[in-house]
Amino acid sequence: MPAPALGGASAAPGATTGSRGEGRGSPRRSRLSLVGASVVMFVRVMRANLLTLVGFILTVLIVVTAAAVALVPAIGDLFHLSLSVLPYPPNQLFTGPVFSPPSPAHLFGTDSVGRDLFSRVLSALPIDLGIGVSIAGFSVLLGGSLGLIAGYWDRPWTLGGVQSLVIMRVTDVFLSVPSLILALAISEVLGRGTVQSELAVMATWWPYYVRLTRGEVLAIKNQPYIVAARAAGVSDGRILFRHVLRNLLEPLLVYFTMDIGTVIVTYSTISYIGIGVPPSIPEWGNMIQAYQDNLVTQPWLVGSVAAAIFVTVLAFSLLGDGLRDILDPRSRRILAASAPGQGGTKLAAASPGGSDS
Amino acid sequence: MTEPVLRVDHLSVDYVVGAGTFQAVTDVSFELQPGRVVGIVGETGCGKSTLGHSIPRLLPTPPARIRSGHIWFRGMDLLALPKWRMPSLRGTGIGMIFQEPINSLNPAYRVQDQMLESLRIRRFRDAGVASVPAPRLQPFDYSRPGGTKPTPSPAQPFVGALPEAMRGGRPIAKELRKEVLDFLRLVRINDPERILNLYPHELSGGMRQRVMIAMALSEKPSLLIADEPTSALDVTIQAQVLTLMKELMGEVETSILFISHDLGVIAEMADEVGVMYAGHLAEFGPVQEIFEAPQHPYTKALIRSVPNQYKDQGPLPSLPGSVPNLSQLPPGCAFHPRCPLAQPVCRDDPGPGLSANTAGTHPAACYFSTEVAGLP
Repeated sequence: MPAPALGGASAAPGATTGSRGEGRGSPRRSRLSLVGASVVMFVRVMRANLLTLVGFILTVLIVVTAAAVALVPAIGDLFHLSLSVLPYPPNQLFTGPVFSPPSPAHLFGTDSVGRDLFSRVLSALPIDLGIGVSIAGFSVLLGGSLGLIAGYWDRPWTLGGVQSLVIMRVTDVFLSVPSLILALAISEVLGRGTVQSELAVMATWWPYYVRLTRGEVLAIKNQPYIVAARAAGVSDGRILFRHVLRNLLEPLLVYFTMDIGTVIVTYSTISYIGIGVPPSIPEWGNMIQAYQDNLVTQPWLVGSVAAAIFVTVLAFSLLGDGLRDILDPRSRRILAASAPGQGGTKLAAASPGGSDS
Repeated sequence: MTEPVLRVDHLSVDYVVGAGTFQAVTDVSFELQPGRVVGIVGETGCGKSTLGHSIPRLLPTPPARIRSGHIWFRGMDLLALPKWRMPSLRGTGIGMIFQEPINSLNPAYRVQDQMLESLRIRRFRDAGVASVPAPRLQPFDYSRPGGTKPTPSPAQPFVGALPEAMRGGRPIAKELRKEVLDFLRLVRINDPERILNLYPHELSGGMRQRVMIAMALSEKPSLLIADEPTSALDVTIQAQVLTLMKELMGEVETSILFISHDLGVIAEMADEVGVMYAGHLAEFGPVQEIFEAPQHPYTKALIRSVPNQYKDQGPLPSLPGSVPNLSQLPPGCAFHPRCPLAQPVCRDDPGPGLSANTAGTHPAACYFSTEVAGLP
């Protein structure tokens, strides 16, 4: 073989002798500092983005309140005590004067039989929140995995193409019927009741996530970095779960968070129509239905329930909007850099792209 | 002569799309000897990237379709391997560096995470956890004349430490981190400890390409396919990266298939050069012969069109006509409508095969290769 006229390949300095950097920074310490850095980053992003901060605080308040309302009586039961964070039992009659407007004794007033509205609105919170999270969560899991499969293996004329086609056509069938009507129809078939109506909404909710996920997967899987990962010998499963899923997380989690609010509104609608939670259990939808006749004469009744729904939906929407910036490493660093001292003014500059859900 | 790392044998690749069948690669044959660099040069759209992607079978099929031919990689016919065997061959067997350093790193992960992934793949395969069609043996003498002896690989055999790796034990994590740093230093990144925790968008283009090269090299492939690795970089960075790749070849004991449209880059890098035109390999030979005594009129015209930096020669010489549409290649030799030497036989006959033509010093797909020297 002829000797090629090429420059001498000198050994890389420090290539194999590089023992400079190790020794300091044990793995344990670096992991700890990583957690610390993430916390600092989180605080900075929150400070830079005031609306997200509001959403985050509201969400934490709502979740903590819901947990307290649901868990304190249960914990009390363990010690044979009747504990509760509510001022009155939600269904106790004549806690005060009938149709009392909001007052220090009854923060949201009382209804036609003297039940305390504040207690009723709060006692409905864990139910509504649980329904919102469980329906949206189920939809993320089912719709997300179906969308992932349908998007990743979709080459025509293969087994993957067939399953992709089947998944998408079934999704189309579900999407072609208005989801509220479909949910009503399904819950009529299943019978009335909390669980039945929840199942009905679940059955109509997942197709949106299939669409969303599949679209994102189709865009991500043709990115050069996926081809590069494949060229580096990364297996299909690892590409799917590590590379594709991580980049999916951002749109999916944002949509999920905002969707919790939408689910609560939709479920309240179903409950309002009267096929959801039975009237014996306070729930925002059936409370609005019960109080709608007094809308003009005693506006605080419907008003306080509507305000509860409004605040919950708003909290998750604001949080969801901010999550987008936190999950994207690019905007996260920009936000963190722009944070110190000068709060909300950086908001517009720091969030790239509009909301798309 | 040793067994070639890569032997492409009469390879033809089509793209079947709505508008017709595009013959992106037609009847290409060449060999790559261990420790050498083969350069593939040609214009945009001549099929060089398709050729590069078809070797590790990364082309999306459909629309691409490998019509005929064989790709022998270390004695294995890659096209005969079942598709599910290919991932275990990529990376450690055939590595690849891409054209777009901007998008070739996952934006969601730090440099460290991405480097670790490559390292883990190699370690697991070396340890025999994953069965590999071609184990990363070193059957060839990679030492280049005039170069230093390859240093022993920084990775020690992994088998003894394996159970700890399964448990995710700390010593392994530390060792892996050290190796990541070693490879980042290998590609001349000055401050690897800082780079480790950066996201791709925080690096410059040259840095990203170095990280890509470090990732590809850290798997120690027998064959590295570099698909225009420097086209997106500016000239100074390009020169640095090229020098780097040439130096590191010996270090990680690999052979390179270097694809570029830039004759200067090819002259710098390659030992042997293949010139492609409209999916055909026009000429294949040692780099010096290709540049000093081209045997194909297209090569001659290509070299003539490179601007001379120091002399003002008036307008640059150019070829009449344009590159043929790959879905409607002209009959006979694909180059004949633009060829100054064209004869009736060129239109009727696809020309001599690359290997059949022994008129010149190296193979060229032209009947009149001896007359090329007389062209202006």
